[in-house]
Amino acid sequence: MHIPDGFISPQTYLPAYALAAGLWAYAAHRVKKRLDADTLPFLAAYTALSFVLMMVALPLPGGATAHAAGIGLLAVCFGGWMAFLAISLVLAMQALLFGDGGITALPINALAMGGVGAFCALAAWKLLARLHENLALFLAGWLSIVLPAALVAVVLGLQPAIARDADGAPLFFPFGLSVTLPAVILPHLLVGIAEGVLTVLGYRYLTRLRSRLDA
Amino acid sequence: MNRDRLLLYLYLAGILAATLVHDPVWLGAGLVLVLLLAGSDAWRLLRRALLAILAFNAIISLSYALMAWWQELSPWLTLARLNLRVLLLTSLSFLFIARANLFRALDFSKGLTYVLGLAYSQALAFRRAHEDFRMALASRSLRRPSLMDRYRASAAAASWFLEKSLHAATQSAQALRSRGFFHD
Repeated sequence: MHIPDGFISPQTYLPAYALAAGLWAYAAHRVKKRLDADTLPFLAAYTALSFVLMMVALPLPGGATAHAAGIGLLAVCFGGWMAFLAISLVLAMQALLFGDGGITALPINALAMGGVGAFCALAAWKLLARLHENLALFLAGWLSIVLPAALVAVVLGLQPAIARDADGAPLFFPFGLSVTLPAVILPHLLVGIAEGVLTVLGYRYLTRLRSRLDA
Repeated sequence: MNRDRLLLYLYLAGILAATLVHDPVWLGAGLVLVLLLAGSDAWRLLRRALLAILAFNAIISLSYALMAWWQELSPWLTLARLNLRVLLLTSLSFLFIARANLFRALDFSKGLTYVLGLAYSQALAFRRAHEDFRMALASRSLRRPSLMDRYRASAAAASWFLEKSLHAATQSAQALRSRGFFHD
């Protein structure tokens, strides 16, 4: 879902950087309280895990593939702020070390995937876990994909209205909301199912693994 | 200020400038400047940037050209501007990655450098392992693997990565504790 460079106007990415920077500082402050020899390596390890989960192809019927993000899993296992930092670090690593993704799109991707995705996943998990744990995990994974996709679609779809030249031609992303909303959200409804399944299985697997390691 | 941090600031200023300029001639001039700065690596850089943006930009450009044709508008200025800007930004990013050491640029924060370094080294190892998993499935399949086989392969890879992450984190935690990282 994440946006490459060159499609987002400075009128969008500069305020997004300001907002994201504030949240990064707050998240670092929150995590720092728990930052010790245990949490720091875990943050690094789960950043790397999230990075590689984005590379693992989830096969979809019909031969297409989707890519997991592990946002729901990170949020449920390590909390919203840790997930926000880990996802932001992944996106920064992709943009600045691997040349994948974009530096102008980084704050929007981070706010969408790490912010909206992680915190909505966490909310779904906290609200529904008592009723049905697997359903809560599945919804956490599904929401962590679908809601960020919706936010990205809105940001992209607003670009022609935000930045245009004197003749009314778009300066950045050229399609409006009527195109971006269905084009981005519909495929992610399906990708979200794969992410939901990954969240359920990943959580079960991690819980078992941790209890085995602790034993 | 070290050289890498200066390069980081220049890169960020270049990115901002490329999004504030809308004339295709200036965007093209910016691209030429980046290629000149790349020196003997210019063609490799341009080829890599073109390959990186090809799929996404081709879809967007073709769709926009069709829409403009349908609405009887001229798409050329918008297409030139969009594609030159994306190519310029991507080339600039690749040039920065090739010339600057991000870890030195960010060395004002011990924690950030540490997390980034650890995450990057693990990500590199995981990326190699991911490629191994992909090739293992391809080399063991005479025909295109079925949906179920691909599910199993993805699940095996994901569980391996989960397990490896937990072990890596535990090992790093023990290494940090034994070296007194948090008591320096």
